[in-house]
Amino acid sequence: MKKLIVALCVLLLIGSFAFAQGAGETTKAKALRVGMVTDAGTIDDKSFNQGTWEGIKRAGAEFGLDVKYLKPAGTTEADYLKEMGNLYDAGYKFIVCPGYKFETAVYEAQDKWPDAKFVILDGEPHTADYATYRIEKNVVALYWAEQESGFLAGVAASLQMKEAEFGFVGGMEIPAVQKFNWGWQQGIKYANENYGTKIVLKQENDLYQGSFDNVAAGQQLAASMYDKGVKVIFAAAGGVGVGVINEAKSRASAGQDVWVVGVDVDQYAEGLLPSGKSIILTSAMKYLDRASYDMIIDEMNGTFPGGQILRLNATNNGIGIPVDNPNLSADVQAEVAKIYEKIKSGEIKVADTQIAGLYK
Amino acid sequence: MSKKPKQKKEFKSNDFLIALSAVVLGLIAGAVLMAAIGSNPFEGFLYLFRGGLMNIERIGNTLATATTLMLVGLSVAFAFKTGLFNIGASGQMLVGGLCATLVAHHVFLPRPLYLVVLILSALLGGALWGVIPGFLKAKFNVHEVVATIMMNWIAYWSVYYFVPAYLKGPSLETESASIAVTQSLRTEWLTKMFHGSYVNLGIFVAIVAVIIVKFILDKTTLGFELKAVGSNRFCAEYAGIKVNRNVVVSMMIAGGLAGLAGLTFYTGYARNMQIGVMPSQGFDGIAVALLGASNPVGVLFSSLFFGMLQSGKGFMNAMTSVPPEIADTIIATIIYFTATSVLFKKFWDGVARKMTIRREKEVAAQEAQDAKDAQTVAGRLAEPSSGPDVSLHPSRESIGPVSGGTDGKEVK
Repeated sequence: MKKLIVALCVLLLIGSFAFAQGAGETTKAKALRVGMVTDAGTIDDKSFNQGTWEGIKRAGAEFGLDVKYLKPAGTTEADYLKEMGNLYDAGYKFIVCPGYKFETAVYEAQDKWPDAKFVILDGEPHTADYATYRIEKNVVALYWAEQESGFLAGVAASLQMKEAEFGFVGGMEIPAVQKFNWGWQQGIKYANENYGTKIVLKQENDLYQGSFDNVAAGQQLAASMYDKGVKVIFAAAGGVGVGVINEAKSRASAGQDVWVVGVDVDQYAEGLLPSGKSIILTSAMKYLDRASYDMIIDEMNGTFPGGQILRLNATNNGIGIPVDNPNLSADVQAEVAKIYEKIKSGEIKVADTQIAGLYK
Repeated sequence: MSKKPKQKKEFKSNDFLIALSAVVLGLIAGAVLMAAIGSNPFEGFLYLFRGGLMNIERIGNTLATATTLMLVGLSVAFAFKTGLFNIGASGQMLVGGLCATLVAHHVFLPRPLYLVVLILSALLGGALWGVIPGFLKAKFNVHEVVATIMMNWIAYWSVYYFVPAYLKGPSLETESASIAVTQSLRTEWLTKMFHGSYVNLGIFVAIVAVIIVKFILDKTTLGFELKAVGSNRFCAEYAGIKVNRNVVVSMMIAGGLAGLAGLTFYTGYARNMQIGVMPSQGFDGIAVALLGASNPVGVLFSSLFFGMLQSGKGFMNAMTSVPPEIADTIIATIIYFTATSVLFKKFWDGVARKMTIRREKEVAAQEAQDAKDAQTVAGRLAEPSSGPDVSLHPSRESIGPVSGGTDGKEVK
């Protein structure tokens, strides 16, 4: 019996080393291989990860590219770098990193793997102590003007509801979410001032849950807001937003008049009720899929804008509300289209900071 | 006959065999799973192992991943020994890590002295978080599972408040300012030796902890008492062991070990604390302890194994069409098989019994034969004395079947 144990053990050891030493890399692909490392949350988070991945998948399907996403074990720099290394070693040398949490990891990666290309969304590479910002020729950083998107959604929702109480549920208090909130508040204000709507947003209904994955907490927050008479909640909160949507769906099924404004991607389908209606009034979108798709196209055309920080906003159609808004009347959509043009031309300026009169 | 007891002991299923069967069966189940989704399991495991061990840097990363798991595993195992289920390692990690991060930001001393202070701070932080549920258990009989889970959330939200309030980074609200590399557990020579991996001094802390825990459990009165309480607390009480005191001490040490895990994670593997994240290692450590059969040395090896799996997983995903979620499922399957270790114990005990019985039969047969031989020999010896009138044939026949038919053939 002892011999058996020893034999098994030796077999396992030899096996693992044999595996480990196996033949050299066989995958020297000529075609572009595109990888993505997911941020906190899953690939089907109906928002950030999913939006980015859909753009990659679309490019992959259209041009026959190898695409792959990896899910890191945690959200530390070490976890991210590990997965980037895995992608790199497997021949995926075009790596998309969605989220500000990748900033320091990309800073390290740009030097560690100079022949790989990186796209970072919502951030730019810098050192852990923020002392040095440096972006190499193999990295593109993308920012969105979330405030403009939130503004449009705010105006659209206000015009549609005319007289109601609104709320906001954010995920964590990070710049991207805060900018959505500030834009939302400015949009409501703009509608009240210029279109005579009577929308109220109380401070107590302007909250950050504190995470992006606590679905139950999102549901609770939404329940308490709806109980207080709020009609429309703008949920910029990833998984927490899913909780908000769930609560709105169950209330709408019971006949209550409640709505949610979606975020990042067009969440209309997430809010569908059995009756075929959706409780998603509209969505404050960042065209994540378009961005990742465009970057891949640029890379294939040899025009990868390496070393640049790109800001996507109304002027380059990087943000907006969905083209189809079944829950918005045609008049409202027409008005919002006008406002979109005004933002584009610079006639309306949406502040991306907490200007006077805004909640945090 | 005198050999028999020794053989029996050798045959009994041991923890190592059980753990090995769990791992092997887990891997087989994983292979079936991979085959079911249409991937080649052999290829999958090839890349899984290569991902963890392919080059020096990856071995270093495996070690770095294993470090935290080792300490959490020790923590859980130690509490198991006293019959306690420490499910609060995550919270203890957070508090230990928080204390260590505070020290890393505010204490500036010569390196050796600094490291001592750093390690002590994490140890004390974790111990504090462990001692509270221990006290509640001893004093009010609050079940430690409930108490430690609640302590997890208290730690989670305390960190949530504390980090932005006192350790805030220059721009983000959601994580602490990064600590300088010189204030972390990473060291130049170790990083260089492993080609830029995250392996850090924590690995030595973990190994020393393994030795110390083994020593405490096997060689000290305290260890004996803790184990006695774990085996049967009423019996221990009857024997005059202070059960409540031991419960508190056990949870304190377990908490301290988990606190050290937090140290290695937040000041070694990572260099800052993110809020809103419950460290999953706290739960993975339960699996490590189970696979290691709550034995410090077992924990050492099982943490290395889990470290390799977790570290190689990503490479497997990158090289094959196995989705990341399946890799997690495979790891979970292995854990599942460990959790059902009782079955393996029964199985191996059954095998052992059969083999013992077979050997006993053989021995018995041998003995019977010996006896017969002895009898015939005795018969032979007795022949001359049986008198001259007795012919040789009957005695020859009696020998026949035993010594083979040669004599008979000759006769024919």
